[in-house]
Amino acid sequence: MTSAASRVLAGVGRPVVGAWREARGLAGLFLDTFVAVARGRVRGREVVHQMYLVGNKSVPFVAITLAVLGLISVFQVATQIKQVIPDFTMLGAAFMQMMVREFAPTITGLMVATRVGSGIAAEIGSMVVTEQVDALRMSNADPVEYLLVPRTIAAAVMMLMLTIVGIICATIAGMLIARSGFDVSFKTFLNFQLLDAGDLALGGTKALAYGLAIPVIAGRAGLTARGGSAGVGRATTQAVVATSFAVIVLDFVISGVSYVVFGQ
Amino acid sequence: MSAVSGFFASIGQAVLNLLRTFGGACLLLGRVIRSLFPPRFDVHETWRQLYHVGVRSAPIVAVTALFVGAIMVLQSAYFVKRTGATSLLGYGVGFTVFAEVGPILIGLMFSGRVGANNTAELGTMVVTEQVDALRALAIDPLRYLIVPRFIAMMLMLTLLMVLGDLFAIAGAALTSDALLGVDWRVLVANLIESKLLDELVMGVVKATTFGVAISCISCYFGLSVTGGALGVGRATNNSVVANATAIFMLDFVVGWIYSL
Amino acid sequence: MSAADPAVRIRVEGLGKRYRGEWVLDGIDLAFRAGEVVGLVGPGGHGKSVLLKHLPRLLDADRGRVVIDGHVLGTLRAFELARVRERFGYVFQNYALFDFMTVGDNIAFPLRQLAAKVRPDAAQILARVHQRLADVGLAHAFAQFPRELSGGMKKRVGLARATIADPEITLYDDPSAGLDPVTSSKIFALIDAMHRRVPTATTVVVSHDLDRMRAVCHRWVMIERGKVVFDGVTEAIAQASEVVRRFFGEAFS
Repeated sequence: MTSAASRVLAGVGRPVVGAWREARGLAGLFLDTFVAVARGRVRGREVVHQMYLVGNKSVPFVAITLAVLGLISVFQVATQIKQVIPDFTMLGAAFMQMMVREFAPTITGLMVATRVGSGIAAEIGSMVVTEQVDALRMSNADPVEYLLVPRTIAAAVMMLMLTIVGIICATIAGMLIARSGFDVSFKTFLNFQLLDAGDLALGGTKALAYGLAIPVIAGRAGLTARGGSAGVGRATTQAVVATSFAVIVLDFVISGVSYVVFGQ
Repeated sequence: MSAVSGFFASIGQAVLNLLRTFGGACLLLGRVIRSLFPPRFDVHETWRQLYHVGVRSAPIVAVTALFVGAIMVLQSAYFVKRTGATSLLGYGVGFTVFAEVGPILIGLMFSGRVGANNTAELGTMVVTEQVDALRALAIDPLRYLIVPRFIAMMLMLTLLMVLGDLFAIAGAALTSDALLGVDWRVLVANLIESKLLDELVMGVVKATTFGVAISCISCYFGLSVTGGALGVGRATNNSVVANATAIFMLDFVVGWIYSL
Repeated sequence: MSAADPAVRIRVEGLGKRYRGEWVLDGIDLAFRAGEVVGLVGPGGHGKSVLLKHLPRLLDADRGRVVIDGHVLGTLRAFELARVRERFGYVFQNYALFDFMTVGDNIAFPLRQLAAKVRPDAAQILARVHQRLADVGLAHAFAQFPRELSGGMKKRVGLARATIADPEITLYDDPSAGLDPVTSSKIFALIDAMHRRVPTATTVVVSHDLDRMRAVCHRWVMIERGKVVFDGVTEAIAQASEVVRRFFGEAFS
């Protein structure tokens, strides 16, 4: 084979092989986490502590972000409606349905990926680099069980709660702007008729999936950190990108499956 | 009683932190702008940054945009099926993607890929005293490090937004064809007919402002790192969070200005 | 040294480790016996810490194998490896204290992680922790966090944590790095004291501090470019090659 051809092949092949190894490593970590949870080797107090950390850090952030999003969405859509057919009766209903199905879980997921994902990677990454993870292994404390399991459970539970908080904040913000900008009464806006169990299930599944994926992916980035502060920085960056991307891919997959299988 | 005062104290602390970050980033922006007129910055380094930022972020922006278009189609499909208004699919998807969802999601991915990396890089340089070394060699870190990154990130995000819009359309078209049975040509034609130029431009303007914000914020956090490896991690964490907040705030501001 | 020498605790056979295409360790053959204090020396960055990390299988070998008390490390299952690791104490280069726990919890950690059958009860654990803290001269630090301590104090806490279970094999990775002369001497005195507590203990010390090591080590292994260039007692250094003699300096000839 000519050297040019082999170089091209290597150029294409190397990232693919690399991606495959990453996928395998990640799958292995998922499995280890679930096995540890299934075995019941969970430190309850640590889980609660982690839930507090995740929630405490994220609630204001999620609340503000989703309130702004609610504000913008309602404003934009209402402006459009006003120009076409000024009938605002379904505005609130459609808005809330979109929030529950798509925007609240996904935007909350992205916010949590940003805040909590990079936090976990930074924490675990600096533990790796300062040999604390080795010290854990020396005392036969499995780093996955000790570090990741509590964070994974905490994140899954908190994602659901944060999504609910997000929906509430967005709805309140949307309600306020609908009233002040377009004279839509609160009662008209708070129209639940379009929301059904399928929407709630979809939103809930997304939130849960994100909550499980983010800590594992971020944890893996942290656990594979090498080389001092540069390594920790790199791990944190990797975690942010990988978790955000995972949220988007999961969103697509879950939406797709939901549509194709359930017509939802 | 102390719990109540503790609560207010933490709110006060949060506000102070917010103001400090905002102020710091604005000051940095001011200094950067001053270095642009007249142009006093390292051109070679700027080209290098343009290359790195572009190469690093283009793939992920493209793929993200692909998915974003697909997701929007899937979500709209539900309504479309209920109301039978397939002709509105192109409009609905185009509107949301160009004006809102596109800029926000691409902005967030860019912030993660490039912004976080930037903070980590600069932070490591600070911690390993490389920035001090530059100063000792009478090289102004602003000219050499900051301004090139600012220009690169602002330009790149603007260009990437356009690229992203194209990929989002592609993703939407593919999904509507494969999963909804709406021919992709119909969707694209629909889109073009919808005269969404205003929304497109607004999206790109948003992207430019995001680029300015992300570069200033990520550089600010990178330069003010203290405390070794953990400090770099924490600064990267804070930078990404601040970027995300800024993206949403600016999204609102630009949208509001456009409506005037 | 016969192949089934009963006093040999750790046998390293043809160990090789590769990082990014380079062989950091290139065919290491060593034996560590009960009762020995071995000094692992050599130019910086040539593989000493990497070798040390292979012994409790914190790193996996690319070539060759490590045998602990007859068990081949690479073939052990998780719980068997756990039992083997319980025989080790490891003092890390950068202390590796858990910064989210107090000093007391740090030292108690290895004991609390022992399998339920062999774990002492909570009161006994606390008693032993206090005793060991007193031994290293830090009785007052029980409730403090690592970030409140100086470098030398953190090293002593690390030492206490590594030796709390009176392990049979203790590994020290650069115990006096970055410490002032007085504290360094204290650390080495502690290393000696800990070794004497368990008659059949094996101790391996990686360090550049040859003068202080001299008072503690019986045997020396010098690693250069990933290979063993000297393996013998202090007296044998004078007869060794030029390179080795120059490394150890005048004090040893």
